[in-house]
Formats: sequence, C-alpha cells, structure tokens
Amino acid sequence: MNGRILELVGGPLRAMRRAIFWWSLGLAALIAMTIAVWPAFKGSSGISQAMDQLPSGVVQAFGLADFGTPAGFLRGNLYDFFVPLLLAAAAVLFVNGQTAGEEASGRMELYLAQPISREAVLLGRVVAAVIALVVVTVVMLLAQLASDAAFDLQINIRFVLSTIVLSGLLAAFHGSLAVAVAGIRGRPSLVLAIGLGAAFAGLIANSLFPLSAVIAPWRHLSPWDWAFGGNPLENATGLWRYAALAVPTIVLTAVGVFAVARRDISGA
Amino acid sequence: MNTADTVVAIDGLVKHYGKVEAVRGIDLKVARGEVFGFLGPNGSGKSTTIRCLLGLLRPTAGRINAFGLDATRDGVEMRRRLTYVPGELRLPDRLTGMELATSFGHLRGGFDPTRRDQLAERLRLDLHRRLRDLSTGNRRKVALLLAFLFDAELIVLDEPTNGLDPLMQREFLAMVREARAAGATVFLSSHSLSEVQRAADRVAILRAGKLVAQGTVAELRGRARQRIEVWFEEDPPTAELQALPGMVDPVVDDHRFTATLSGSIQPLLSLLAHCHVGSMLVEEPDLEEAFLDLYDGGPA
Repeated sequence: MNGRILELVGGPLRAMRRAIFWWSLGLAALIAMTIAVWPAFKGSSGISQAMDQLPSGVVQAFGLADFGTPAGFLRGNLYDFFVPLLLAAAAVLFVNGQTAGEEASGRMELYLAQPISREAVLLGRVVAAVIALVVVTVVMLLAQLASDAAFDLQINIRFVLSTIVLSGLLAAFHGSLAVAVAGIRGRPSLVLAIGLGAAFAGLIANSLFPLSAVIAPWRHLSPWDWAFGGNPLENATGLWRYAALAVPTIVLTAVGVFAVARRDISGA
Repeated sequence: MNTADTVVAIDGLVKHYGKVEAVRGIDLKVARGEVFGFLGPNGSGKSTTIRCLLGLLRPTAGRINAFGLDATRDGVEMRRRLTYVPGELRLPDRLTGMELATSFGHLRGGFDPTRRDQLAERLRLDLHRRLRDLSTGNRRKVALLLAFLFDAELIVLDEPTNGLDPLMQREFLAMVREARAAGATVFLSSHSLSEVQRAADRVAILRAGKLVAQGTVAELRGRARQRIEVWFEEDPPTAELQALPGMVDPVVDDHRFTATLSGSIQPLLSLLAHCHVGSMLVEEPDLEEAFLDLYDGGPA
C-alpha cells in the first residue's frame, strides 16, 4: 500500500463525494418517509383485503401481497423494485462517471499518460465506486433500522439486513456490467444504456414474466430473481443467492479491466 | 544516429480510425538531448502520433518506442521516464492546481514542493484557485507546471502554448532550453512555425498523415517561403528586384513592392540598403504555404 494506490482510489472518491452524499440522503429520506406512514397500515386488514381483490398476478408482479404486515409493507413500498432499482442506477452512474464519462470528456488522458497501467487506473475507480456503493447501502441500512424503531415496524433485523445486502449486490452486479462496457468501449451513452437497460429488463423479467405460464420459467435468468426470488424479508436467504450475484460481478469487472488495456483511449 | 543516442524511434507508423487514415506511414528518430519540432497543420496527424507514443492509441501498423521500450507493451516503464502536455487539455475542474500537483506527485513519486512553488511563481500561476475558475491560458500553465515538475528524460508537448500570452510563450521557450541544457529531450508538436524555429534543433513536417520533410531548422528555413512587402519613398528598382534569386511572383504597384521569397533574404537586404525604404514587412506564411514546395505535387 502506498501513496500511488491511495491516490488511484482516493482521487475518484473525492470526485464522487457529493454524489455519494446526495444518493445517501435521498435513499435514506425515501426509506424514512415511507416507513413514517407504516403506523396507518399496521394491522389494517382492510388494505390487505383491498389488495386481495386485485388479480393475483398483479399482486405478485407489484409485490402487493400482505400489505398490512411489516414484510409485505416493506416489500411493496420499497424493496420489491424501488430501492434496488435506484441503488442499481446509482452504481451504474458512479461507474460511468468515473470511467467512460471521464474518458469521453478527455480528463482521463493526462492520468493515463502517467506511469500507471490502465488496469490499475480502472481498478482504482472500480474500488472507489464499490466504496461509494457500500457507503450508500450502509446509510440506507441505518435509515431503515432507525425508522423501524421510530415507527414501531417490527421485523427480523437479519431479514432486513439480508434484503439490503442483496440490493447492494444487485447494484454491484449492474455496476460491474457498466465496468465491462466501459472497459470495452468508453462511451457514456453505451454504458448508461446497457447498465440501466439491463436493470430495467431484469426487473420486468422478474415481475411480469410470471404472469404468463409460457415465459414464467425465464424469470430465473433475471438477477432480480437470484436476489429476491426467495423473499428475503420473510425467509432466510441461501448463500448461493449472494454468490450468484457476487461471482458474475467479479467476472464482469475482470472483463472490463482486461478489455480496457487492449483498445484505444478516446481523446477529448 | 546511434541506437544508444535515440530516445524516440518511430518505424512505419500507421494509424487508421475506421476508414480515416490519420497517420499513413511515419519514420523518424529523435536523438537524446535535442528539441525536436513536430510541425504540421491541424489534422495532419501530430496528436495521433503522440498519442500512439504515449500508448493511448494502438498503432494499426508499425512500431513506436521510446528508450528502446515498446509504447504498447512496456508503456508503464516508458511513461515513468517522460512527461506530457496534451493538445486538447481537459483537467479535473473541481481540484485546485495545488491539489492536482499533489495528486500527480503521489501517482509519479519524486515530488518536490519547492520546485512546484518555483514553477508556479515563474509561470505566475495561482495554485490555490480551482481549475474551473482558471482561464484557458492559466489552465495551460498548470499542464506545463506538471510537465516540468518531475525529472523526465523526455518531455512531450502537444501544442503547449495554445492560449498563452506572448510573455509566457517566451518563458515557456526558456524552460524548454533549460530542460535541454539539463539533458532532457523535448518532443515539441506545434502548428506554429515561429515557435518551433525558436526552440527546436531539428524539425519534421507532417501533412495529411505523412512526413513531407525532416531536417535542421536552418535547412528548412532556407527552403521556406516568406511573403515580402516593401514601401519605397522613391521609385522601386523594379528590374533589380525581379532579378533577385528566389523571388516568386514579384509585383510593383506604384511605390509598393510585393513578392514571395524562397531562400535567403540577404540579397534583398543588400539591394534595399541602397534605396530609400519607408517600411518593410516580412510576413511568415502559414505552414502549408511556407513548405508548399516540400509537398509532392501540392495538396494530397
């Protein structure tokens, strides 16, 4: 560990500090404001019955089952897609800003003209983006736990922790997809289109495919299914689900690092 | 030139961007301790060649190395021994000049704060201001400071004086001469003939991705054309003027004489010494015009 390695990570982190602050604040506020209305839903059988009137496919697709229970409330309002999708977007934006965005603006050139390998520069930025994602995820977790206590939402902390960790890993997966694309081709529009497009496509596959018996089995191709298919707010999550997200994340990052050293760097 | 004396060696360099042939086969060598001028109009392939040298671009064909190290394979080791000012300068806007210099100090090692402060004072640069608040010229000074801040055997400068005022351009040229005196080799890319001829020992001229001339500054200046305009306070000696060697398209219009001069200006000055001359203008033509006779058959 030396000043060079610290700079390769610290420089991008300094550049991301405002984004980290606003993403943390925004997601924490979203969680706190949502849970603040929990007391109105708590134990309300009327809402659950109203939801039960909807077609079962719609209830499943939008995570509206058991809306009057703590797990059902959190799933339907936050963790079925809202928070994981925002967190995935944050990861893709963090990566894009520090890789393809920097390259397309021409700011990467002066750094890559220093005695550092492109692999090291990209890895430094990946580590910085991971740290940013961890900070946002930890702030989210703290906001969740504090709001649970403040508004008397009683739920197994281990299940909350595992849901948020899975959300973070799902975001890391999409961030690593952005790393791979940025490594292969440093164009921000392409990185954003593929990174965010994959997040939306996975969400749709996970939520809507089950509505049709023909395509329902294909939902298992979605990383969203790997993350949340076991309903982590109500059940213990098998280790394989963490691995199913972590392993491709590492592979995609390696693809990006391998590719970036073997292509032209675009100029300003 | 012995291999040991060669710092930069470019051998058959070709670089295509899709169907665009940016560099179409360049061969050149830069000797240790010389200031090498790399001249050419915008779009002639100067920056592409330099970006290949730095390992930012992968050549389509040919080899490019510095200190005997291949730019693609041994890029890290090669870049340890050189510094660079990009032509299209983009700096991290949120940092101050001080923060950027410190950051590069950590990345490169061998950082000397005293030298940083001396360079900042010499360039009249406030390192405490954020880079986004600096003018184009001051941002260019930050890049120059970074290039001269570290002990480099090779300093690669791509259009380094863009945006600098004349005073700073002079200071920059002094810094280049001092670096050379200290043993550094300077690769100076420019579209400004005057800048290169004041600083360089040898020059290569690039046009449309090909080298059209190489030689010492004196050799190339001898072949360059200059536009001459003389106002006489008497009738001009038309016949003698038209008979001067190297005079192209001489025109006498009342007391005004214009022509393009190829070669030495000395015969003209000797003739004018015997005349009443009101004023005289020797205009350096743009590069393309100046070296028109070096291009095979004119524009490619």
